[in-house]
Amino acid sequence: MNEQSVIRTQGLTRYFGAQPAVYELSLEVPRGGVFALLGRNGSGKTTTIRMLLGLLEPTRGGASILGYDIRSLPPEARARIGYLTEEHQLYGWMSVRECGEFQSRFFPTWNDKIFRGVIGHFNLRPTALVKSLSRGERAGLCLALTLAPEPELLILDDPAVGLDPVARRALVESMIYLTRRSDRTIFFSTHQLPDVERVADHIAVLDRSVLRACCPLETFRNSVRQVRLRFPGTPRALPKIPGLLQAVRSEGELRVTCVHYNGATEAALRGLAPVQIEETPISLEDAFISYLGDRGEKSFILSETEAQP
Amino acid sequence: MKTLVRKELRENVRLAALGLVVHTLMLVQHYREYVAAPTNMSQPLANPEILWSTAWFCGIFGAVLGWLQVHNERRPDLWAFLIHRPMTRTEIFLGKVMAGLGLYALVVGLPLLGFIVWARLPGHVAAPFELRMLRPVAAYVLTGVLYYFAGMLGDLRQARWYASRVLGVGVAIVVSLLVSEGPAFWPSLLLILIGAAILATAVWGGFQSDGHYRGQPVWGKAALTTALMVGCLIVAFMAAILVSNFFPRGQPSGMTSYAMTTNGIIFKSNGGPGRSLEIVDLEGKPLLDEKTGKPIDVNAFNRRLAAATTLEVAQDGRPGRSTWIQRDLSLAIPWRATQDTLWYYWSRYGRLIGYDIATRRCIGSLGPQGFATDLFGRGDRFSDAATIGGARTLSSTDTAVLQLDLEKRATSTLFTTTADDPILAQQEIARGDYGWQYTMVITKRLVHLLTAEGKPVWQTPYEPARASSTVFQLFLLEPPGQFALWISPGGRADAEERAKQPAHVMWIARDQGVLKSLDLPALPVPHYVPRLEERLSCFVMPPALLSALPAGDAWTWGTRIPRELLLLSWAGAVLLCLPVGLWLGRRYHFSIAAQAGWAVFLLAFGVPGLLAFLSVQEWPAREACPNCKRLRLVDRPQCHRCGADWAPPEKTGTEVFAPLEAV
Repeated sequence: MNEQSVIRTQGLTRYFGAQPAVYELSLEVPRGGVFALLGRNGSGKTTTIRMLLGLLEPTRGGASILGYDIRSLPPEARARIGYLTEEHQLYGWMSVRECGEFQSRFFPTWNDKIFRGVIGHFNLRPTALVKSLSRGERAGLCLALTLAPEPELLILDDPAVGLDPVARRALVESMIYLTRRSDRTIFFSTHQLPDVERVADHIAVLDRSVLRACCPLETFRNSVRQVRLRFPGTPRALPKIPGLLQAVRSEGELRVTCVHYNGATEAALRGLAPVQIEETPISLEDAFISYLGDRGEKSFILSETEAQP
Repeated sequence: MKTLVRKELRENVRLAALGLVVHTLMLVQHYREYVAAPTNMSQPLANPEILWSTAWFCGIFGAVLGWLQVHNERRPDLWAFLIHRPMTRTEIFLGKVMAGLGLYALVVGLPLLGFIVWARLPGHVAAPFELRMLRPVAAYVLTGVLYYFAGMLGDLRQARWYASRVLGVGVAIVVSLLVSEGPAFWPSLLLILIGAAILATAVWGGFQSDGHYRGQPVWGKAALTTALMVGCLIVAFMAAILVSNFFPRGQPSGMTSYAMTTNGIIFKSNGGPGRSLEIVDLEGKPLLDEKTGKPIDVNAFNRRLAAATTLEVAQDGRPGRSTWIQRDLSLAIPWRATQDTLWYYWSRYGRLIGYDIATRRCIGSLGPQGFATDLFGRGDRFSDAATIGGARTLSSTDTAVLQLDLEKRATSTLFTTTADDPILAQQEIARGDYGWQYTMVITKRLVHLLTAEGKPVWQTPYEPARASSTVFQLFLLEPPGQFALWISPGGRADAEERAKQPAHVMWIARDQGVLKSLDLPALPVPHYVPRLEERLSCFVMPPALLSALPAGDAWTWGTRIPRELLLLSWAGAVLLCLPVGLWLGRRYHFSIAAQAGWAVFLLAFGVPGLLAFLSVQEWPAREACPNCKRLRLVDRPQCHRCGADWAPPEKTGTEVFAPLEAV
């Protein structure tokens, strides 16, 4: 294993019944920085995280985290890993302070300043009961409980789900604060693409249980390109284009998004005899949506019958 | 771990408070029932009602507490929050169990302790008490621990069939039944410990693998499989009984027995499948009704039967069939109540102990040599075996039968014998409305019949028919002063031999002694045909268990399980369970060791074993192998048929991979 990797998976696979939830996942997460695991709902992100933490037995394959086999994570490994769950569930009968006291007794590296700082950031009253907190407040409390032990590796499972923009911003700032002041690693899954753009150094994309991308964020940004082709009339049917993600057809126009745009791609597009080919800028969010969306051609041209009121 | 224990205590304190209130109310109800009837002759701490209510409460509360302790955290994210901390899963399990059992002990023990203290304070309970009387309650309190673990297992287990979650309770139910029917205390305690160890290990295994069978340590797997097998055994047994109800019942086997009429004549009654009872004399001629000239009606015959008094004398010192719980609850037997006193026979002192109804305090004891204000008297004791039973007028020592006058607190001697011919049994004999007429006394060598006043009527020597036990039946014949005495081996000897043993009959007249005697031949034993429910239930019984266990004293089976039923059980295992298990094992490509282990298990435990096997195994999915095109198991790194590795995911041409550098 690379000494710089905090997570390494090899052919990690999990089936639920006859359905693979994660299929032959092999990746390495380098030490330091923020690693974002992206994918649509049901693509296998949570399953991957739960397997990495030894909370779900892999069907086959293996993985290690901080050098420990995930099938037998010892307490000292768990002490070095912070884990924020997706639903932010805690004991409803505990108060915010009691949650902190409860958690602090298990973690020898507990930093109460961080705990108080984070709950202060989220404006949480220490006496408030967990069951009376809003989802965003609960997320803040969970984050405080996860950050206060100062873990070496922080694993966050869709931490921003259900948070309002202000809470989301607070969360992202906490993540940035945590990673920038030390060599800690954050591995998080999310749907929030602006957050990814703000904090992620590396990304991995799961598409229908299969890993399709694993690279630095910039590499991904540069790999996805969009071109606009103009035609005098309705464009012809699309030939096979290497790396095609999406093609959207409209009146006299075809917008094509693809990866690894190169000479072969351009030659294939020119075969459609467009009057103009121009590359258009694409935001990271659009690039992700194209990447994660349905592959192939879409059309916005309505047939005559569909157009009639 | 202390933090976790505290958290668990806090989390379940409401349930504990509710349990405490319910249990206290139950005991308060028992208390009210007791104090409402001052002449109630029972020790409330050794009362079967309190025992059963405690058993039910412990079982239900234990199961609910165990279930809730796991259920509170069964949502995946909260479970992850619990598990993901610098503790081993074993420590988390122990923390939960320590807190759970602490609460259980508090809820069950505190009200019971209060009740015991109340009952032991002088002036509250007018009945003897000794610590052994608490053993049955203690056993059921301990059995509740099994239900606690079964409750935990029920919620923890990731069950393939939803209903199979409750199968773990099977161990607790079986142990409860065996404890309540057990012959001795210590084996019952050992059984509780074994049951608790099995269930606790199964729960511990579940904690290691988040409730899945896969990923558990070997001990956890073995315990879980055993626990589920016992649950499956109950389900299969009940299903067999249920199914047998849908089929017509077979005719009962024929049965012949002797009977004696009031004029001292012996007849045989022959019953059989599909025919009414036939009454014949010893030569086989039917008994005819004098009025009709037809064979006599059974009811008319029954009206002619002589009244009999039976005494069974055990001579080998073996305890009877009573369970240890029955024995512990009968340490002090209610004897009789007078207007202002309650009397108990307390076997510990061999004396009658009296209590004043008004003050609820002990007034002293009555022994063979009279009344004493303490429990010991002069060390004189009644004989246990000869005292228990009868109409509570007489008691005896080894050499004397005594009449007791509880109003005067005095005894008077009715009969004496010598030390080399000790008294084995005695009984008052009442006849119709005439009240106490005779007293029968059995000594080692003689049978005596006395009048109620103690005057001898007759005595006759006898030889014990069997070493184990002997039954004496005295028939009072017409005209008065005529008797018949039957001496035969006891029911236990019959059961051991699976046959009715021969009986010796003597006709005796007052002042004339034995007129004649006769040895009745042994009766033919009807051919035993197992019933459908017996066949079905044995088919689903684990053959190893059926072979290892004796059938006890059941008359129908003798002391061994019938060979036919045993063969049926083995046939179920060999012809059904083993082939199915081997086929499934082959289909899912078990290792040779696993295959052999399961084969032995299925062979030994039959249908319940097969059901447990299906309950625990989480079958892996299968997919077509791109290399050999046959179905391969998805949980193996290579195809188990052709050895091919898994192919990497198919490329789409849109992959973006680049080396990642540490930041």
